[in-house]
Amino acid sequence: MKADNIRTLRGPNRWSDDTLLEVIAVADSDLATPATFGRLRGSIPKELADVTQAVWDRSEATDSYHGEACLVAELTAAFQRLAGCEIGKPTVHTLDSRNFRILVQYQEEEVGRRALALAFDLLVAVREDRQVDLAAAIRELRKFNQSVRLGPSTGAIVRAAEARGIPTRRLTEGSLVMLGYGSRQRRIWAAETDRTSAIAESIAQDKELTKSLLGAIGVPVPEGRSVESAEEAWTAAQEIGVPVVVKPRKGNQGRGVSVRLTTREAVMAAYEIAVAHDGEVMVERQVEGCDFRLLVIGGRLIAAARREPPTVMGDGKHTITELVDIENQDPRRGEDHATSLSKLRLDAIGREMLAEQGLTVESIPEASKVVVLRRNANLSTGGSAVDVTDEVHPLVAERAIDAAAMVGLDVAGIDVITSRIDQPLDITRGAIVEVNAAPGLRMHIEPSEGTPRPVGEAMVNSIFPHGENGRIPIVAVTGTNGKTTTTRCVAHLLQMSGRRVGMTCTDGIYVENRRLDTGDCSGPKSARAVLGNPRVDAAVLETARGGMLREGLGFDWCDVAIVTNVGEGDHLGMGGIHTVEELAKVKAMPIRRVSAQGAAVLNADDPLVVEMAKLCRGSVIFFSRHPESPVLVSHRNKGGKTVTVRDGAIVLGVGREERKVARLTDLPLTLGGKIGFQVDNLLAAVAAGHALGLSIDGIRTGIETFMNDLKTVPGRFNVVAHRGATIILDYGHNSSALVALSEAIEKMPHRKRKIVYTAAGDRRDEDIRRQAKLIGDFFHEIYIYEDQCTRGRPDGEVMQLMREGFGADRRERVVLQESGELAAIGAAIASLHSGDLLLCQVDQVELALDYVTSLCRQGDGHPAASHPGKVKSTAAVLPATAS
Amino acid sequence: MHIRKILTLVGPNIWANYSVLEAWLDLDHYDTKPSSTLPGFVDRLTAWLPSMIEHRCSEGVRGGFFMRLRDGTWLGHVLEHVTLELQSLAHLPVGYGRTRETSERGVYRVVVECLEPTFAEACLRTGRELILAAIDDTPFDVKANLRRLRELADQVCLGPSTQAIVSAAKARGIPHVRISHGNLVQLGYGKAQRRIWAAETAQTCALAESIAQDKELTRQLLYSVGVAMPAGRAAEDREDAWDAAEELGLPVVVKPQDANHGRGVSICLEDRDAVMTAFDIASREGSGVLVERFVSGTQHRVLVVGNQAVAASGGEAEHVIGDDTHTVEELVAQANQDPNRGEDSAQPLTTLVLDDISLELLRRQGLDKTAIPATGRKVIIHYNGDLTVDETERLHPDTAASCVIAAQTVGLDVAGIDVIAEDIARPLEAQDGAIIEVNASPGLVMHLKPLVGKPRPVGEAILNHLFPIGETGRVPLLAVSGTNGKTAVASLISAMWSASSRTVGEASSRGLRVGSRVLSNADCATAASVRRLLVNPFVDAMVVETDEIRVIREGVLFDRCEVAVVTNLGSGDHMAEQYVDDRTLIGKAIRTPVDVVALDGCAVLNADDPDVATMAEKCRGRTVYFTKSPTSEVARKHLEAGGQVVFLEGSTIVAQEKRQRRAIVDLGDMDFLHDRPLGAHAIVVENVLAATAGGVVLGLTPTSIRAGIQAALAETEDALFETNGRRLLVTSARNPSAFAAWGSALGDVLGQAKRHAILEVATDWRPEDAKEMSRLAAENFASLTLVVHDDAPPTVQNLSEIFEHAKLARENALSAAIDRIERIIGAAGTSDFIFVAPSKRSGKDLANEHCTKRNMVRLS
Repeated sequence: MKADNIRTLRGPNRWSDDTLLEVIAVADSDLATPATFGRLRGSIPKELADVTQAVWDRSEATDSYHGEACLVAELTAAFQRLAGCEIGKPTVHTLDSRNFRILVQYQEEEVGRRALALAFDLLVAVREDRQVDLAAAIRELRKFNQSVRLGPSTGAIVRAAEARGIPTRRLTEGSLVMLGYGSRQRRIWAAETDRTSAIAESIAQDKELTKSLLGAIGVPVPEGRSVESAEEAWTAAQEIGVPVVVKPRKGNQGRGVSVRLTTREAVMAAYEIAVAHDGEVMVERQVEGCDFRLLVIGGRLIAAARREPPTVMGDGKHTITELVDIENQDPRRGEDHATSLSKLRLDAIGREMLAEQGLTVESIPEASKVVVLRRNANLSTGGSAVDVTDEVHPLVAERAIDAAAMVGLDVAGIDVITSRIDQPLDITRGAIVEVNAAPGLRMHIEPSEGTPRPVGEAMVNSIFPHGENGRIPIVAVTGTNGKTTTTRCVAHLLQMSGRRVGMTCTDGIYVENRRLDTGDCSGPKSARAVLGNPRVDAAVLETARGGMLREGLGFDWCDVAIVTNVGEGDHLGMGGIHTVEELAKVKAMPIRRVSAQGAAVLNADDPLVVEMAKLCRGSVIFFSRHPESPVLVSHRNKGGKTVTVRDGAIVLGVGREERKVARLTDLPLTLGGKIGFQVDNLLAAVAAGHALGLSIDGIRTGIETFMNDLKTVPGRFNVVAHRGATIILDYGHNSSALVALSEAIEKMPHRKRKIVYTAAGDRRDEDIRRQAKLIGDFFHEIYIYEDQCTRGRPDGEVMQLMREGFGADRRERVVLQESGELAAIGAAIASLHSGDLLLCQVDQVELALDYVTSLCRQGDGHPAASHPGKVKSTAAVLPATAS
Repeated sequence: MHIRKILTLVGPNIWANYSVLEAWLDLDHYDTKPSSTLPGFVDRLTAWLPSMIEHRCSEGVRGGFFMRLRDGTWLGHVLEHVTLELQSLAHLPVGYGRTRETSERGVYRVVVECLEPTFAEACLRTGRELILAAIDDTPFDVKANLRRLRELADQVCLGPSTQAIVSAAKARGIPHVRISHGNLVQLGYGKAQRRIWAAETAQTCALAESIAQDKELTRQLLYSVGVAMPAGRAAEDREDAWDAAEELGLPVVVKPQDANHGRGVSICLEDRDAVMTAFDIASREGSGVLVERFVSGTQHRVLVVGNQAVAASGGEAEHVIGDDTHTVEELVAQANQDPNRGEDSAQPLTTLVLDDISLELLRRQGLDKTAIPATGRKVIIHYNGDLTVDETERLHPDTAASCVIAAQTVGLDVAGIDVIAEDIARPLEAQDGAIIEVNASPGLVMHLKPLVGKPRPVGEAILNHLFPIGETGRVPLLAVSGTNGKTAVASLISAMWSASSRTVGEASSRGLRVGSRVLSNADCATAASVRRLLVNPFVDAMVVETDEIRVIREGVLFDRCEVAVVTNLGSGDHMAEQYVDDRTLIGKAIRTPVDVVALDGCAVLNADDPDVATMAEKCRGRTVYFTKSPTSEVARKHLEAGGQVVFLEGSTIVAQEKRQRRAIVDLGDMDFLHDRPLGAHAIVVENVLAATAGGVVLGLTPTSIRAGIQAALAETEDALFETNGRRLLVTSARNPSAFAAWGSALGDVLGQAKRHAILEVATDWRPEDAKEMSRLAAENFASLTLVVHDDAPPTVQNLSEIFEHAKLARENALSAAIDRIERIIGAAGTSDFIFVAPSKRSGKDLANEHCTKRNMVRLS
């Protein structure tokens, strides 16, 4: 069995709202599966026995390809769980006797993929009778997971954000995370926020400066000064009074720090250690007491921990090296910051420490003697942390908050040394010894002892005040026809209301009218780019089926989802979607992700779309050109909202009431209401605008000023005048679009109707024939050509299918142009007489438009067309779309 | 001639409203020798420092000082001018100087304006040496000394970027405080402060700086907002670098992953060898190597501040031009002679260095460093050039917009965007230009001092970004000065202000307080304590007691105040301090806060003290008088002129302006004043009056003022104890004015009760002060015990004569005098009153502590 196609569904998708791997597993041979299973049973490691048992237990599953697929699914899930990911049960769909669809959740994409590969490998290995060191592979996977997943601190923040409904996204493989969308987004990097001042961090790095600033506002600090030689260090120590601390002026995590020094020798030796870390060395009064870390976030004390240095306890039998090894067996002790304790180390500093206690690594300390391995109590060097948040005296908390404020840090770890944290510092003669930027949060989230503190929540609360969720309004637009125009129109409405709008559509990505990307940008990747853009106040996202199938949605929730229609569908037969009903299910995906406060905007004339209302958590607004549509009437009777056309005007119905939005004659996009499909698009946009809270006046101004021209909306029903003939350029290439286009063209005055057309090769045979039939029935002259990329069909096949569709009686009106799109367009334009109407179905949009523009300019005295790069239309500039 | 002492007076002082250095210069044997009597001195001096011709001095004309020199002037005066000149020649121009005699013959105070104390001091000392050399006709290398002084100035002064912002702040009247030896500066005071560090602001977030450091991450983020940087990727090794170059298309750029200032960057690499060599160079920087598509054009720098591109500069690649004679190496050396070139960030051109990258570049130009290029041939030394030409006005708006988007996407409020373009006046797309880098904390020198084109006000831009127009960076500061009652008035006003929901910072001799917190109990009427208030980010109102002797010795530190309250100019305080020889000096010190009252500020002056009343003339803001007598002439005139007066009418404090009278507080209604064991005695009333006037000027409501009086008096400093019917008051009366005030107050309150006094001799009494104290004691007390420390000034050593009727207790510490108190209590009659007046705060605390320990009943 092998993976035929692996998709990573990174957002809500048609199977579930979780991130999934979608794998098509194909039975690759007629190898007898029972043998495989038998062998597998024998070689499966203990920890996977439960997993496999579950598969075996379903007797019908065993000894079949289906069983094998189930096994792959279960193993992939099990490997991920063993690696430390929390995921749900996998699912297996039978496509046919040899093809299966496996759906398995993942937390970390790469871990999921590796787990999947491992599952397939295992199957192959067993079949080939090869030994697999599964335990080692799983260990490796666990390690890998630890290296790629968010650390505990950032993980806690991300979980807290998600619990508050704030979307999150990692921006790097590291800990840089974006919380929220667009202009509401905030960033965090471990315990740093985007409000953490760079200057404050520099100040915190400079202990002397920090101390002087804290001293200025009356925060108790240990007195001391910086020294330039070992000799001077001792002089300073005598001035200050021993015991003293000697440490590098800059530095962190306790590196190079020596404490409780009383003798000249010790001070001078400590100077050398410190100077090796940083040129500048400080000598300070030793403040007696325990080492406490207070975490201040947003001007509040969130957590406090007492930190203890790493120790081992003698047993009279083992050497210190052995005791350390034994202690390091504790599973809580990990190699990195990912676990609650770090491994003990016996490095130079550790050995020095032992030497001071008269010990070496080979010494065997007597039973219950405590050997200190390091003076400082940092977690990273093996220390431990006991939560003492509830014991902190309010005045100590106040001083810590003052210290953070004075340095200017929004998130700070304040190191306090005091004999009792439940007494004010002036009583205990304790002091604040350091202010740390980007403090470790692990000791508070997973203290070695005591209550874990909601640090992640505090971080999130500090950057998102109560009631804010970091979201910007999101409108998702899907359907078979009219998506792009509707998307553009909704974006236009939002823009008119003063928002900086980010928009994705089949023409590209636009932010504040700047085009950031070209090409088809209707997928989740583009959606994510817009949602990540810090200048975007509102997003309007064309959401096409391809992206949804390939990767899921690019957002978690939206405020408004519009489905223009399903119609006769498009792209059927692709991506496992064979019927319009299946397609409708895909198109309903954004509707399922409308938030409870949001709204679905649905086409009342399309039964498949009407059905989607049931899936929406929020409210529903139906639109239709037909005010008497039973769907509209019954929706309004139930108090629902509708948008329709009555007496030549777009009206918004709310329950019994109906408010006029705009007269059709004032809407340039619809050619005074003549172009029906454009009316539909505007109805949907009006409904969306209303759902977004825009005023009726604002919406009216918006749709009255919304138009399509070659420049802003290329390839969407652009109308061009040429020698008295009219050329319409449009991108539409499916049956529904052709019907809508024909309907619109019929209303325009013309002598003869001509068309340049091709069908895309990746459509079903019957779809290509149907398109040809529609064209043949409607147009007087037809220029067809074969697309450059026939999308998988042999040359000539598309033409053949189209010919079949035209029917024998119309074939004489068909001109086949062998040499491609531009040649076909050229021939068609050359044939135009005054009063003719030519519909150019443009495929390579920009190329074709340029070509048409240049043809029209040559030898055509029409002033409107003589402007380079700009093509104007006859009647009015007619903008529009049908796709 | 030697310098006895140097005082640094920070901020306004008795000499000027800005910082000065005050040196006590002893002329030694030159005290009889003016300049004209020293042979050759004037000629040598004028030859060494010819530019002093500009010093107009008292003559008021160009060359005025040289005229004085020839006519004969004292060397102190000469030192003043030389010091000023040295500072100016070392690029820190200053103009103010004064030289005054002291009471001691041959000793002068030489006062010079000072921008940086350590530097000014070095100039002063150098000046002295220069003068001595000129007198003795010994050699003095003026040039070398100036060079040394300039180097020192560079070390101690702010860097050019920081200075530009600070200067902009000064122009807008926003004060600044340096909070480290480097470029960390606080703009504004207290709660209104914002910090800057070179071109980093308080709003620059560390996270954005980390993003800007990471080129790959920056590229991704910018790509997603449509600001495309050149394509590129990280390269693992030399081979991979070449693979990357081939993938991207030649030519390419190879640079370290977190490159800064063009270090390790090789540009326009066309072949395999060049790419590999460049990889080696870049990988030495240690952070990983990036290969990027090469964008042709010259480098430009666009400075983005907030949401605007405020400046742009461009320049050429670093190059030398051949002359058919010199080798490349020699040409480089010649170019480096240009005074505009240097390692210093203040210089517009950097020193040309022939490093590996340049050698490689030379090789590609078919040269090496010993080659002699033909005349006119341009030899590129480094592709990244110095940015010397201001291009701000040519910057295309689309490019400006892209730069702003780039900065905002990375998250920087101030950013330098590196742009490659053939012509910055055309859009980038049109010429295949690109943004190649986003830099945090960009240098500003290129915009401040372009070699070609206009300097750009980038300091102003950053300042206005931090302090939008209309923000002053200030929290209101009220200063209280005067010989008597200033501590009490300060604490009363603090309490009133606190009652109106302000976080008041108070620095006074009773301590340092912020809000309800006591930061220090020691005497904090000092410049150092004021500094602690100015940097405190919680303080949104400041009350500062300015002690006259400290003003004389330290300056007041704050650059201006909104309100200055002056209680009185009594007599007898500090007069024995060295060179505080006359009352005028004390008067000037007390007046100093009045001199720096803001234009829209106010002086609150005691109309009943003629010396204080006339200070109004020196006030740039308005004046409000307070007086005990509503009929006061000064007050009447002031009212007629439309001014405001606060006065006592019966027991009511009234504020009047024109015809409008407002009763602020009726002391008769304030029970607590009468409940006090000593009642509402005159001193309390006077202090309350002055403080109320301050409160009125601050716009506080009568309710706040009353609440403040109540709160302040409840924690009065003066402690009254009772033991077996005898009452004992511990208070301060260290000068004649205070002692006199207490004498008369006690007379009013106590009537016939027998009074004893224990007085500690203050170290700064002059003989006449001691005599006055003696007279007052005899007038008001039945017995006087004098506590004399060994460090009492020699001028009053003859105490037994002066205080003929007093018992002298010669003690080294007041602790021993405690016994004395005990004995006096023992000897006193049952209804007697004992007045204890230590001269220092510590003594007062000690006495209070003793009485409390002895279980005396504290009455207040």
